[in-house]
Amino acid sequence: MSATILRHSAEQQFAQEIEELQKQDKQTRPVNWLLSPQAVVTYLMGGTLDNGFAISPKYIGNRRLMEIAVATLTTDRALLLYGLPGTAKSWVSEHISAAISGNSALVIQGTAGTSEEAVRYGWNYAQLLAAGPSKEAIVETPVMRGMQEGKIVRIEELTRIGSDVQDTLITILSEKMLPIPELNTQIQAIQGFNIIATANNRDKGVNDLSSALKRRFNTVILPVPATMDEEVEIVQQRVASFSKGIALPIEKPILEEINRVVTIFRELRNGVSADGKTKLKSPSGTLSTAEAISVMNSGLSLAYHFGDNSLKADDLASGLIGAVIKDPVQDKIVFQEYMETVLKQREGWKDIYRACRDIV
Amino acid sequence: MSLHLLGIRHHGPGSSRHILDALEATRPDIILIEGPPEGEAMLPWVAHADMKPPVALLAYVPDNPQQAVFYPFATFSPEWNAIQYALEHKIPARFIDMPLTHSLAQKETPAADPATTIDSEAGQPATPPAIKRNPIAYLAEIAGFDDAEEWWEHQFEIAHHATDVFKAIEQAMGALRDSLPQERDDNEARREAFMRRAVRLAQKEMYAEIVVVCGAWHVPALSNMPSQKEDDALLKNLPKVKVETTWIPWTNDRLSLASGYGAGLESPGWYSHAWQHPQDNGALWLSHTARVFRDHKIDISAAHIIESVRLANALAGLRILPRPGLKEFTEATLAVMCMGDPIFMRLIHRELIVGKTLGQIPEGTPQVPLQKNLEQLIKKLRLKISDQEKTLTLDLREENDLARSILLHRLVVLDIDWASLQRSNSKGTFKEEWSLCWSPELTIKLLEKAPWGTTIEEAAGNYLQHQAAGCTRLDEITALVHKTLPADLRHAVQFTMKRMDELAAGTTDISVLMDAFIPLVQVSRYGNVRKTDLDTIALIITTVFYRIAAGLPPSCAGINEDQAAALAEQIKNVQQAILLLDDEELKNTWTGTITKITGSAQAAAVIQGCCCKILYDTRVLGSEATALEFSKALSVNNNPDFSAGWLEGFLKDAATVLILDDNIWHIVNTWLSDLAEADFIRIIPLLRRTFSMYTQVEKRKIAQRVGQGQPQARLALQDTGIDQERANRVLPVLEKLLGL
Repeated sequence: MSATILRHSAEQQFAQEIEELQKQDKQTRPVNWLLSPQAVVTYLMGGTLDNGFAISPKYIGNRRLMEIAVATLTTDRALLLYGLPGTAKSWVSEHISAAISGNSALVIQGTAGTSEEAVRYGWNYAQLLAAGPSKEAIVETPVMRGMQEGKIVRIEELTRIGSDVQDTLITILSEKMLPIPELNTQIQAIQGFNIIATANNRDKGVNDLSSALKRRFNTVILPVPATMDEEVEIVQQRVASFSKGIALPIEKPILEEINRVVTIFRELRNGVSADGKTKLKSPSGTLSTAEAISVMNSGLSLAYHFGDNSLKADDLASGLIGAVIKDPVQDKIVFQEYMETVLKQREGWKDIYRACRDIV
Repeated sequence: MSLHLLGIRHHGPGSSRHILDALEATRPDIILIEGPPEGEAMLPWVAHADMKPPVALLAYVPDNPQQAVFYPFATFSPEWNAIQYALEHKIPARFIDMPLTHSLAQKETPAADPATTIDSEAGQPATPPAIKRNPIAYLAEIAGFDDAEEWWEHQFEIAHHATDVFKAIEQAMGALRDSLPQERDDNEARREAFMRRAVRLAQKEMYAEIVVVCGAWHVPALSNMPSQKEDDALLKNLPKVKVETTWIPWTNDRLSLASGYGAGLESPGWYSHAWQHPQDNGALWLSHTARVFRDHKIDISAAHIIESVRLANALAGLRILPRPGLKEFTEATLAVMCMGDPIFMRLIHRELIVGKTLGQIPEGTPQVPLQKNLEQLIKKLRLKISDQEKTLTLDLREENDLARSILLHRLVVLDIDWASLQRSNSKGTFKEEWSLCWSPELTIKLLEKAPWGTTIEEAAGNYLQHQAAGCTRLDEITALVHKTLPADLRHAVQFTMKRMDELAAGTTDISVLMDAFIPLVQVSRYGNVRKTDLDTIALIITTVFYRIAAGLPPSCAGINEDQAAALAEQIKNVQQAILLLDDEELKNTWTGTITKITGSAQAAAVIQGCCCKILYDTRVLGSEATALEFSKALSVNNNPDFSAGWLEGFLKDAATVLILDDNIWHIVNTWLSDLAEADFIRIIPLLRRTFSMYTQVEKRKIAQRVGQGQPQARLALQDTGIDQERANRVLPVLEKLLGL
């Protein structure tokens, strides 16, 4: 593992945890799984192993959801993680595949331009022209590799892919088989293969799944964090790993600032102030936890590079406003109202109010 | 001689199964059950073939039925099964809880005792009851469950092997009671003392195998018997009250109501399934789920069911459970069938997890007279009690339907909202549409009304008089009259009318009087459909009418535009009502009043216009005279505001007059074209207000007429010389058709 890598994949970062879990795992493992389903859930939710080794929580939220997700993968249905942007869908799918297959790199990023070749297989045209269709001329996709090796394949933003391309998954999911008519053959998946797809609630209308495809997926909706504490915990954990990752030497207690950012996000998202007394308008953005994390991160780097190394309201304000004001007209009104009715009145929040007012 | 203490969870199907096993094993000669001793007389009914749970044992204080307790039973309730076992094997079953005669009396005393009320007002705030945590939650927490019910279910209910389960329960509860810091609960102590007393009695009577079925929590209290003396001291001098008991039908969703046994349950439908099909791995339950979805036009294939069963079992495996429970099924359904969307799950929750079963009790179970009377009437009129919402359309010309309608109206008077009257689509007053939905608490409401009489008619009448006597405003009593008249309560009608007369005398607000007048007239006009007593109404109509006639002209003056418009509407309604009444004398007086308003200088413009229109319509003013009034009101010297207001009053809802009546057309036309430009611009908004109320077609026709320029002569309706005698011969048939 070289120090120059910007971000380690889940299986690299938590290799030790997976190894320890493997050692302690006494439950039966499905074929080609690194861990038993119970151990996978422990890996996701965190816990302490019998030998005292602490597993850090990857998903902070309802354990039930993770259990459903993992149980789904033990059946022959695929898993669809649904949710607002920034509700840790990709994060969860990455960690599940890392824990099950030890490999989270079999990914297809869904876009409007994702073609059938990206899902099934492509051709190496030089080979194809030179020697005609043959196994050697085929360019494998993550799906094909996953089927052959019995691993979990991830498809990000499934609903962004065009419906015709989406539907090529139907045979793969129901018959666990990828036909190659050109060679009059097929690839048959071995045990351990499955697909985790993520899709976005907000983009539901883009390319809704056909009902045939829907039927091949079990759906788990990942909600926005239920409580303030949960959300603060998530942000704190991720911010800590961020500053570790890019070596930001910020040591002061930033929990208070996290609390403030999360409070602002929750208030605007829920359309009511935390004490329930003031009704607010909600801006057009989703204001997800992921955005709160990035506000914190950008604040930290600002403080480090341009400030005096301690996180101040000024450092947060620009990121905050960038996250809230997506529509320059409507959201600005919303935020100004919020500043005047809530931020201004709140005890000890004068600094953040002034910092925001200077920018807006 | 031995004593077997079977600790249960109320309504736990697993507990039921264990109870039955234990009963088979011990073959007791008496069963003591936690329940009110007053209900013992009701026990034999349990074995009746027509007794279909869910039912509830209702205990109430006859003088104050609000003081009532329910003990609901479902097919899977352990108590229910124990009782049935006793009846089948012809051994005595006894209820051994604290008699309700004491516990209900205790509830009653604080309210009845003025001393305590004063005390609490004098600065001693009544301490709120401490929130008691379910003690079993501690055990569940230790076992790593976040839900006590779930822990209990997996520990004692789903596990089928457990024969020593009752021993284990006794130990667990004993440990809990010993180690938990407990606040002394006198009531609980007394209840347990009563239970012990019953156990001692059974022992004294030399029963050999005594089985006690009670809530798990009480088991340790019964296994360690303190001295009899101690208990007797506890049970001395308890207050008493008269209590009666009966069976009433219950519903699944009310099983969740916490009453009597305290413990409500959230998923009776699921429990009942678990009771009937203990071995189901989900195939059956999830097929039912799929069916419910399909019934609501949500496509669910058999493949969905298969996948759900698999996921539920995988989940159970992951959680190391012997078989999936409700939680696993619900989660599997959510992920596989609902695309993760919890909204669809509400449907399953309502239809399946709670379920829609309505219990049934056999005929002849003891009832209060009022209840009995209602049941007889329901049977006689061929109505049906159901907890599903149902629509009933009644044709009041039919004898039976009329009687039904009267009964339903009487129940409405009694505030027993079994049925609610819907707005009928069809025209005419002989049709009524009701929406019926029975709920068990209606029985309580019925019992509440028991003091008012022994029959529905009597009770409704008395209750109504009581309410009428309490009315202090005319609109209140008008609302009451609305309820009274269709309920056919002669006696009460007389009384209400008298009260209405008294209140009308004291009312100065003319619009309230007018509001009261209109329904009266409608009833008197259509009263013969319902065969209501009309003389009283006629009397009251006359008095109310004269009050209106006298009070109306002055109240038309000095009011603002909105009030004037509202009053004009009311005047129109009264006009309609007067036409319906067809009483020459009243009509003449009314015409007099209207004429007075039209000619008065003070009355609001809108009202004047409206009255003039009425006079024109009733042919009191001929075309010529109307034209005169019109040009007077619209003459150039008048304030344009007044003119426009007048015009609005006159032409509102009367486009036809404008289109068809040449005279009026001519007058309006001339008035408009003669207006000075400044004046015209000033009243355009007011004109628009009048004309915008017309329909598109009317507006187009008016525009066409404007386009045609000069008015054309129109065909008048000709008298074609009807043969009066021949025409009269049609009338009897017509009357029959209309049901007159």
